[in-house]
Amino acid sequence: MDDLFAPSDVSWTPVSPQLASVRRVSAAITAGVFGIAALLALGMTLGWLYGVLGLVVIAAVFVWSWVLIGRNQRSWKYAEREDELMVSHGILFRELVVVPYGRMQFVDVAAGPLERAFGIATVELHTATPATDAKIPGLHPDEAARLRDRLSALGQAQAWGL
Amino acid sequence: MTEPAPVPPAQPPVVEQMGARLHPLTPFVKGWGYFVVAAFALVNNEGLRSNLEVAGIGLAGVLVGGILLGALSWWFTKWQLTEDAIRVDSGFLFRRTRIIRFDRIQAIDVAQPFVARLFGMAELRMDVAGGGKSDGKLSYFKYAEAGQLRTILLVRAKGEQVAQQQDQEQQNEAPPLLVVPTNRLLGATLLSSTVLGSAGALIWLIVATMVLDFHIGLFAGLPLLLGVVQPIWKQVVGNHGFTLSQTDHGLRTKRGLFDVQRQTIPPGRVQGLLITEPLIWRLLGWSRVELDIAGVAGGQEDGESGNEGAQLLPVGERGEVAAVLARVLPGFNLDAIDLQRAPERAKWLRPIGWRYLAYGADEQVFVTTAGWISRRTSIVLHHKTQSVRLAQGPIQRRLNLANVHIDTPQGPTNAVALHRSAEEAAWLTQAQAHQARQARQAIESTRPDQS
Repeated sequence: MDDLFAPSDVSWTPVSPQLASVRRVSAAITAGVFGIAALLALGMTLGWLYGVLGLVVIAAVFVWSWVLIGRNQRSWKYAEREDELMVSHGILFRELVVVPYGRMQFVDVAAGPLERAFGIATVELHTATPATDAKIPGLHPDEAARLRDRLSALGQAQAWGL
Repeated sequence: MTEPAPVPPAQPPVVEQMGARLHPLTPFVKGWGYFVVAAFALVNNEGLRSNLEVAGIGLAGVLVGGILLGALSWWFTKWQLTEDAIRVDSGFLFRRTRIIRFDRIQAIDVAQPFVARLFGMAELRMDVAGGGKSDGKLSYFKYAEAGQLRTILLVRAKGEQVAQQQDQEQQNEAPPLLVVPTNRLLGATLLSSTVLGSAGALIWLIVATMVLDFHIGLFAGLPLLLGVVQPIWKQVVGNHGFTLSQTDHGLRTKRGLFDVQRQTIPPGRVQGLLITEPLIWRLLGWSRVELDIAGVAGGQEDGESGNEGAQLLPVGERGEVAAVLARVLPGFNLDAIDLQRAPERAKWLRPIGWRYLAYGADEQVFVTTAGWISRRTSIVLHHKTQSVRLAQGPIQRRLNLANVHIDTPQGPTNAVALHRSAEEAAWLTQAQAHQARQARQAIESTRPDQS
């Protein structure tokens, strides 16, 4: 990786590989539903050969997304600098967000049923503008709680007025 | 941060135990537009015009239904002042309680839209930081009542002294710094791209129908006509007699022919500026200046999008724009900023516009320009920066380009340094984050009382 989106003067923390698992499971569910639908729809109308072909295409897409999800998961990382939180992510569309702690309005910690099953959570930092996209998915719940507390403490200590 | 918790019921409200209703004519004043539209639609409808009885019944039905709904909504809307907040309950199907704490109120204005003025009524507009436009509106009261309530709220929100000061200010207005002449407003509106485009299309449509016997139907003309009339109405009537003056609390704008709008721009709450120069205006040296302000609630016309911020100058000449900029940002000179052009390879993404992409910065602000038809210059303050983002898409990656976004609270400005070389963008991201921190620390050390 080039370091334009991840300057090397700070220590970056990767997110949990469980993020990839969660996304793979939900991709598998989607692919499964579409696969069965394609098998049945094509199989009943055009013949079972086409149905199986449809299934194979969807399976191929799923395998490809399996790889992409892995790469995307590895691209997510965050760093806590003295005054700012930095979040970097993306392969095709890459983004690096730098948010001063003092700009924080509130912090969200969220975890859906699938995320909970795999033991991860998402921390999102909100500023006064919705344009700020400082979301960190795939954190261990303890790390998420630590980050939430640290961010709110730092946000309080360094609070900047509007 | 969450909304302040509702006032516990055990705590007795100071003024009203049960809550008071608004003026009984409120539903009529709020809903008159619908009646007009309904009447117009019924009269215009071919089928109904031939059958006046049905039209009459329909109109009566709309009228009665509208009045009934309005009356219900009026009946269930109550407001009351509590220990530290104003509380508004509304809605008959979905009950809603809004509590606005006095200490969150930034400013209170009494406004009189046209119809309300005919009935001697007024609405109260409270500026609430971070709130939407309609969040702080309470309409309608008798004019005198609204004035009294404003004073009460001001005293609670800011203390006796400020209230008296502000009252005086409302009465004796400061001498205007600048008045925008109506003929320039009209000229500028007629030369804006929306009006020109719509007018051109309308003329084409008329010619096509009349001369070429090419019946597209004149229904298509209606939205076009609206495109011509609506901006003229909005600009010429809404901004009629636009006056800018200086008060102790910042710049004050006053505008409007029927519905006089006043707005105060406290200097510390300006987040950014946007200078727009449409193609033809540029030849005449005209431009428009808009502001991002934290918590602009009132002072805007109904129906405008909440994203619009505050107008500082609907149309001004170069000298006026420079003078206004200097008022808002002391010591700032746009021409002195060294603008860095985007690299030439950006033309693969912006074949024409790449020449106009540029950014620049000084120790106070960050400036970006973009657009070749309508040039937009965004100016954001370093110490108001919410976050800095570096972004790159797949094509940009191939060209080794990247965007840097400087995020400020919602408003018309959009400070993005588009299509910079990737190394420069990465450097700029860090530099801007650093600059924002420095600027904030500098501000904090000079004003320790302000958080």
